[in-house]
Amino acid sequence: MGIRIDALKCTACMACEMACGYHRDDGFAFLSSCIVPYRAKEKTDYFGVLLKEEETLVVARPEGLEINKIGEEQDPEKEADASAKPMLLREACDLCEDVEDHGPLCIQFCPVEAITLEEE
Amino acid sequence: MDYLSADKILIVDLAASETTEDELDEDLVSEKIGGAGMTKHLYEQHEDEDPIVIGTGLLTGTLYPATAAGVITAKSPVSGTLCHCPITLKLGVEIKYSGFDYIVLKGVSDKPIYLWVHDGVADIQDAADVWGKDVWETTDAWRKIVGDDLLQTLVIGKSGESGSDYAQVCFNHWSSGDRWGFGKAFGGKNIKGAAFRGMGLLEAAKPEEFVERSLEILKAIKPNDFMGKRGVGDICAALGHEDVTDWLAPIVHRHSACYNTPYPTNTFAYLDDDPKLVTETKVKEPGILITDIFGLIGFKNLGLSAADSCRALKACAKYGIDPTAVAELSPGKSLEDVENAFARLSGSPPIAGKGVFSPWCPTKPLFGDFGLSGGDETANWWERHQALASIFGIHPIFAVMCPQLTEENMLELANIGTDLELDKDTLDEVIDGLCG
Repeated sequence: MGIRIDALKCTACMACEMACGYHRDDGFAFLSSCIVPYRAKEKTDYFGVLLKEEETLVVARPEGLEINKIGEEQDPEKEADASAKPMLLREACDLCEDVEDHGPLCIQFCPVEAITLEEE
Repeated sequence: MDYLSADKILIVDLAASETTEDELDEDLVSEKIGGAGMTKHLYEQHEDEDPIVIGTGLLTGTLYPATAAGVITAKSPVSGTLCHCPITLKLGVEIKYSGFDYIVLKGVSDKPIYLWVHDGVADIQDAADVWGKDVWETTDAWRKIVGDDLLQTLVIGKSGESGSDYAQVCFNHWSSGDRWGFGKAFGGKNIKGAAFRGMGLLEAAKPEEFVERSLEILKAIKPNDFMGKRGVGDICAALGHEDVTDWLAPIVHRHSACYNTPYPTNTFAYLDDDPKLVTETKVKEPGILITDIFGLIGFKNLGLSAADSCRALKACAKYGIDPTAVAELSPGKSLEDVENAFARLSGSPPIAGKGVFSPWCPTKPLFGDFGLSGGDETANWWERHQALASIFGIHPIFAVMCPQLTEENMLELANIGTDLELDKDTLDEVIDGLCG
C-alpha cells in the first residue's frame, strides 16, 4: 500500500502536514511531517505536495508525479525545490501504522480527497 | 498556559524601541478565552498608548477544521472605534508557531521599523530600506533577507505610509479583511509591518481525544454541497452574483485554501500567462490571488472586465489600499481611473454590520440559510459568528458557510485541548464584551 497524491486537487491547506506532524510529535507541529505542501512559489501560484518515503522523495507537481530515489544524483539541469532539502532529514512515511482504526491521518484530514491510499 | 499556546505575550514599546514578554496566564484565558477576547483586553490594558494588538485564537493552528485565523485589534483611525480585522491565509498559524500568542504594539517609533518574530524571539528592525516600497517589494525584500520564501508578513504599502483612510494592512502580497484603515494606524506608528516564521509545538491536554473529535467534525462537514464548490466565484454566486463565476472563469488558474480550511476561499487569476498552465510559469508576477470578494464585485460593477478587475485588485494589493473602498469611491470607471484615484479618494464607503467585525466576510450565511429568517436575526447571527470565529481562530468566511462548526463543539474542543472548564456563560460574556 502507498500514498497517492493528486496535486491538482490539492488546495495547499496544510491539513495533511499538520496531521502528519501530530502523528510524529503527539502535539501540533510542522517540524517532523513527512508530507508537506510546497508553497514557496506564492506569486506564481505553483504548488503541490512533497512526500518522504523510505527510499524515495515523491514530488507531486500539478503536471504530474516525480519520484526521486533518495541518494541518487539529481538532474543538474532541474532546479531543486528549496523545500526538498529538509524533507530528506525527516523520518519516512510509515502509513501511520500505529494509529488504530484510521489509517494514514493525512488521508483522513485532507478535506478535498487529494490524498488516497492505493495498492502498489 | 500549558496547552494550545505558545505561552507568551510580546509587548513592543515602539517609543523606547524595547520589547518585553509576559506569560499567558491561565486564569486570564479562563476569563477571556482567546483571540479577540484577549486582544480587546490587552488593548484596554495599554489603551493610553494607542496600541495595535495582534493575536491568534485559542484553537488557531490545530486540527479542528478551519483554524486558520488570527486577529488584529485596534482603534480605527477612520471611525475612532475599536475594531477587529481577521488574519487569514497561512499568517495566523505562522504567528502562533513563531512563539507568541499575542503581540502589543504601543506608542510611536521615531523611525520606520518592522518587527521580525521567529521561534520565540522578537527583534525590532530598521525599515528604512523598505519605507517607500510597495507591499510586494517589501515582502520580497524581507523574504530575501531571511532566505525563506515561507516567511509570512503583515505589511503596509504607500497608502499606509501616506496616512490614507483607506490604507490596508496586507498579508504577504495580498489584500486583507482590513476595512478599518489599520494600514494608516501602522503608518502612523512608523511600523512598516511584521514578519513571522516559526517551528513551534502546541501541546494539547488530551491530544488523542482532540484529534478524534476534530476528525469526526471534519467527516460531518464533507457531505455538505458546498464541498463540491471552489473559490471566490462560487461564493459570489451564493451571494446572488451568479454571473461572476462565468465572467471570471477564463482567467482562473487555481483555488487555494487558508490553513486547514476545507473550502478554498481564495482564487488565483492569471493575467500575463495562460491560466490553463499546469507547469510553473516563467513570468515572475503572472497574476493576483483574489482574497477580497467585494473588491472583485465592486470593480465588476464599475464595468471593468474580469482581467481589468483583477489588475485593479493587483494594483490595490501593491499600494496597500482597500479594494472595496477604491471600487466604491473611484470617481472614474476605467482601470486607469481606478489606479489614478488611489491618492485622491474621498468619502466614506458604507460598512455593513455594527462596525466591530469586518464586512470583508459576507454578512449572511453562504450556501444555506442556517434556519435564519433575515433582518435583525441574520445580522445578530453574523455578529455572533464573527465573534466566535475571532475568539477561537476560525476562518470567518468558513464560519458563515459551515453549520457543523458550532459554538458547542468549539467550546468542547477548547476544553479538551486545554483542560480548562470554559462554559457557555463565559463565552456569552466574552461575546457580549466584543459585540456590545
